[in-house]
Amino acid sequence: MTAETISADAASRGAPLVEMNDISIAFGGIKAVDHATVDLYPGEVVGLLGHNGAGKSTLIKVLSGAYQRDSGSIRIDGKDAEISNPRDAKAYGIETIYQTLALADNVDAAANLYLGRELRTRWGTLDDIAMEAECRKVMGRLNPNFRRFKEPVKSLSGGQRQSVAIARAIHFNARILIMDEPTAALGPQETAQVGELILQLKAQGIGIFLISHDIHDVFDLADRVAVMKNGRVVGTARVKDVTKDEVLGMIILGKCPPAAIPGPGAIKSA
Amino acid sequence: MAEQSGSGPATSNEGLFTRLVRAAEIDTRMLGMIAAMFLIWVGFDVLSGILRPGGGGLLGGTFLTSRNLWILLVQTSVIAVMTTGMVLIIVLRQIDLSVGSMLNVVAITAGVLQVFQLGPWLGVGHPIIWIIAVLVALLLGAAIGAFNGVLIAYGQIPSFIVTLGGLIAYRGIAFLIASGVTVAPMDKTFKLIGGNGPAASIGPVWSWVLAAVACVAIGIAVVGGRRRRVQFGFKPKPVWAEILSVVVGCAAVLGTTAVVNSYLYPPKVAERFALDNNIPIPTGVEAKAGLAICKAGDKVVTCLDGLSFQTGYPIPVLIMIAVGLIMTFVAKRTRFGRYVFATGGNPEAAELAGINTKRLTVMVFTLMGGLVGVSAIIASARLDAATTALGTLNELYVIAAAVIGGTSLAGGIGTIYGAILGALLMQSLQSGMGLLNADSAYTDVVTGLVLVLAVFVDQVYRRRVK
Amino acid sequence: MKFKILTLLAGAVLITASSTAVMAAGKTIAVSWKTFQEERWKTDEAAIKKVVEAAGDTYLSTDAQGSAQKQAADIESLISQKPDVILVVAFDSDAILPSIQKINDAGIKSIAYDVQFEDPSALYITFDNVGVGRIMAQEMLKVKPEGRYAFIKGDKGDPNATFLFQGQMEVLKPAMDAGKITNVCETFTDGWKPDNAQKNMEQCLTSTNNGVDAVLSENDGMASGVVAALDAQGLAGTVPVTGQDGDLAAINRVALGTQLVSVWKNSVDLGTVAAKAALALADGADPASIAGVTKFNGGKKGVEMNAILLAPTPITKDNIQVAIDAGHITKEQACAGVTAGSVPACN
Repeated sequence: MTAETISADAASRGAPLVEMNDISIAFGGIKAVDHATVDLYPGEVVGLLGHNGAGKSTLIKVLSGAYQRDSGSIRIDGKDAEISNPRDAKAYGIETIYQTLALADNVDAAANLYLGRELRTRWGTLDDIAMEAECRKVMGRLNPNFRRFKEPVKSLSGGQRQSVAIARAIHFNARILIMDEPTAALGPQETAQVGELILQLKAQGIGIFLISHDIHDVFDLADRVAVMKNGRVVGTARVKDVTKDEVLGMIILGKCPPAAIPGPGAIKSA
Repeated sequence: MAEQSGSGPATSNEGLFTRLVRAAEIDTRMLGMIAAMFLIWVGFDVLSGILRPGGGGLLGGTFLTSRNLWILLVQTSVIAVMTTGMVLIIVLRQIDLSVGSMLNVVAITAGVLQVFQLGPWLGVGHPIIWIIAVLVALLLGAAIGAFNGVLIAYGQIPSFIVTLGGLIAYRGIAFLIASGVTVAPMDKTFKLIGGNGPAASIGPVWSWVLAAVACVAIGIAVVGGRRRRVQFGFKPKPVWAEILSVVVGCAAVLGTTAVVNSYLYPPKVAERFALDNNIPIPTGVEAKAGLAICKAGDKVVTCLDGLSFQTGYPIPVLIMIAVGLIMTFVAKRTRFGRYVFATGGNPEAAELAGINTKRLTVMVFTLMGGLVGVSAIIASARLDAATTALGTLNELYVIAAAVIGGTSLAGGIGTIYGAILGALLMQSLQSGMGLLNADSAYTDVVTGLVLVLAVFVDQVYRRRVK
Repeated sequence: MKFKILTLLAGAVLITASSTAVMAAGKTIAVSWKTFQEERWKTDEAAIKKVVEAAGDTYLSTDAQGSAQKQAADIESLISQKPDVILVVAFDSDAILPSIQKINDAGIKSIAYDVQFEDPSALYITFDNVGVGRIMAQEMLKVKPEGRYAFIKGDKGDPNATFLFQGQMEVLKPAMDAGKITNVCETFTDGWKPDNAQKNMEQCLTSTNNGVDAVLSENDGMASGVVAALDAQGLAGTVPVTGQDGDLAAINRVALGTQLVSVWKNSVDLGTVAAKAALALADGADPASIAGVTKFNGGKKGVEMNAILLAPTPITKDNIQVAIDAGHITKEQACAGVTAGSVPACN
C-alpha cells in the first residue's frame, strides 16, 4: 500500500530501514493505535504529527520496545523483528529520546550516558573514569559549554539534560533514532542546536522518527510527514509536496490533501 | 553518587574551610555526622563521670574507655550489617519491614538445627556443626528475601504490604519452629561469631597487621585513582588533598585499632585464659587502678604490671567492617549497584534503558535477606541463645539507622558508610543512656528525637547545598 | 517460708480433691481458653483433661483466639451445653464479667483459672504471682547475703515487672536498710527482650567496672542475656542470676551453674488442682470448704474471693529432678554439657 508507492520514489535510498505494518494496540478497550502503517528509510527524517493523544507516542513506543503491540508486524532491514522490550530494540540499533527525557536524576551525566551499557574494567567493576572520559568527548561535540560532569543530572538545566539524553541515543551507533518532542524543554538557541544535530545524523545515514506537535519544527527538518488522529494514520506526504495549511488540515480535520497518500484515518468524502 | 561533592563553579566569597573541603571532595554531611557523634560521646563521658567518678574514661567517665567503645562496636554490628542492605532497598524506593521477624526465623532455625538436630546427631561441638548452621542461616535468609522480592516484583504487591505481612507471619513461623522454646546454648565455635570470649577476637598482632594492610590499601587506592585520572587527562585533586585523605584515613584505622587493642581481657577471662594455656600468673600486690592480673597469695587480683592480654578486633566487628566494605563496593563499583541507584532515581528511565527492574528488585531483597542471615548469626551467637523475642523492633532500628545516615525515603539517595554511622550513632545513644543507668523510657524519647532531628538537619543541609 | 506452706496446702488440695472425685461421674467440666498461641496452655489443658476423663466425666473446651468478643460468644455456647462447672481463662478480666454473670444466672459454677476476674461467686486458682519476686530474692539472699545487686526488670509497660520488683524489695529491704546490699543498677528492659537485657547488663558492668555481685533478672529469657554479658567478662557462674518460667535453656543453665534459680510455675500442678476443685464443685461442695482455699482480695477492685494460691517451685541445682519427674524437661536437655557429679539430677 503506502509503503509500496513511496518506495518507488525512495528507491535511490535502497530498501526501507523500518516497516511498521498494520500496528494496533489497545489499553483497556481504547484503541490507542489502530491499524497504523509507517516506514522509514536510511538517512531520512520522518515527522510524526498529531494532537496530544493522537497515538504517535504510543506507536513509536511499540518500536522502542516500551509497549507490546496487539497485532501487526515490524520489519527491520526487510526482516521480521521481534521487539518485546527496550533491550531488544537496542539490539536492532533503535535508540529513543523520550519526551520525559528518561534520565535517572540522581546520577551524573556519564552514568546516564552509559545506563544499561556500562563500561567495565577487566575486573568486571564499573570503569567510571573511562565513562567520564568518553562522556566528556561526546558532550564536547554536542554541547561544548557543558562542564558539570560530577553532578547529578537533576541539577542541570533543561538544555543540558536534553544534550545528555541525545548523547545517550547517538553514542552507541544508532541506526534508527526516535526523537519524541526533543525540543519541548529547550530555548531557541538550544532548539537550533538540535536541528543542526539532526541534519548531521541524517547525513550519516541514520533514519529518524521525529515526533512533534510543532508543525514548524517538522517542516524545517523532516523529509516526510505522517499524520495521526485518534489512533489512525490520516496520511503520509513528502514535505515538499504539501503546504503547512494542508498538513494542519490533516491534523485537525483528518482531511487528506491530493499530494498525500491517504491512510485508514482519512475522511473518505473530503 | 549521593555526595554533593561537585566541581561546580567556585564563588569568590567562600571561606577557607569551604574551599578546602571542596578541593578535597569531602562529603561535608559525613563530617557533620562524625562531629555530632563525637559531641555525643564527649557528653556521655562527662555525664557518666559526674554520676560515677573515676571510670577511667578520657574525660573521667565510663563512655570513652576502650572497654565501652569495644562493646559499643559489637553492639552496633547486628543493626549495622542489616542497615547496609536496607540502604539499597530504600534507594530502590522500597521498604522492608520484615527484617526483624526474618532475623528471628533464621536465628531460631539455625539454633534448632545446631542444638536439637546436629548436636545430638554428630555429637555436641563437632567442627562441622557451625559451618552447616552458618550456611543454612545465610541461605535461609536469602531465600526468604527472594520470596519477598518475587512477591513484590512479579506479584506487583507493594513492598510495604508484603513485608508488613512478613513482619507478622515470619515471627509466627519462628514460634512454630521451636514451639516457643528458647534454644540454647549454641555450638561453641558458632558462639565465637558473637564476639564473646578470648578466641572470639583476633588479638593485638593480627589487629595491627589488618590495620597496616588497610593503610597500604588506602594508599594504593588513592595513588591508583590519581594515576587513572591523569591517564585520562583529568585534573587530579591537589596533592595536599590526596595526602590528607591518606593521612586521615590511616589515622582513623590506626586509632580504632589502638582502641580495640587497649581493651584488655577482663581479669576472670584472663585468669581462665592463662590457666587454659599454662601461662604462669606473676605474683604481685593488688592495685585497684591496674588492669593486668597478678597473684596475691591464692587470689588473682588486678595489678599495674602483671600479666595482660590485649583483645583486638572481635569477630562481629570484623564482619561488620567487611560487610560495609563489600556493600560499598557493590553500591559504587558494580553494575548492580549503579542500576539500584538509577532505578531509584527514575524507575521508568531505568526500565527504558533496558534494565530488568523486576529482577533487580528480587536481587536487592535477596541480598537483604542474606544480610539478615549474617545478623541473625551474630545476634544469636552473641546472646548464646535463639529466643522468640530476638529481632523484635529491629526493622525500625535498621530503617532509622539508614535514615539518620542520610538515606532518602523518596529513593535514589543513600550511602553505606552513612548508614553504618547512623547505626553507630543510635547505639551510642542507647549505650550512653545505659551507662547513665537511665530509665529506658528516656532512651526511647532521646532516640526518637534524634531520628527526627537528623532528618530535619539533613533537609536543611540539602536545601542549602542546592 | 510462706511458699513452703502453700506447697503443703496445694498438696492437701490434691489429696482431698482426688478423694471426692471418685463420686463425680457423669458430670461435665467446660473450659473457655483465651488462646492456644502460647505453648503452655496446651500443657494446662492436658492436665485438666486427664483428671476429668479419669473420673469418667466429660471435658468441653473453646478457644477464644485472643479475642474478648469471641470469648463472650464461646461462654454462651458453653452455657447452652449445660456443664456443671466452667473454668475461664479470661482474655480481658473486665470485659469477661457480663459473661460470668450469665454463668451465675444459669446456675453454673465458675472458676477463674490463672487470670483473675473479680466476681465473688467464682473460685480463683492461680500461682502466687507476687511471691515469685519474693522467692527470687530469698534464693539470692541465701547465696549473697550482702553485696552489690543489679536489677534487670521486665518491660516498663507490664505491671508484672513492677509487682516482681516489689516482691523482691519486700525481702531485700532489711538488708538494704542495714547497708549490706546496695542497688548498683536498675533498668527496665524493653519488651522483656534478652538482647536488650544483654546490652543493659553490659552497660551496667561497664559503668560499675564489673562491680556487681548478684543479678535479679525477672525472667529466664532476660537471664540468658545477662549470663551472656557476664560470660564476656568471665563472670558467668561466679555472679548468681535469677529468672522465672522454667525455660528449658534456663534449667540447663541452672545445672551448668551459670544461673542460680528459675522460679517455675508448673502448669501441670495448676491444671490438676483446678480440675479436682472443679469436680468437687460439680459435686456440690461449698467453695470455702475445699482444702487450700483462702480469701483473696488483692485484685484491682479489692473484691474478696475464694482462692487457691499455688506456690511456684524454685528450681535450683539441688531439685532439678522435680522438673524432670514432671516431664517438663528431659534429663538430656537439663544436663547437656554438665560436668559429671556436679549436679545431683544429672548423675
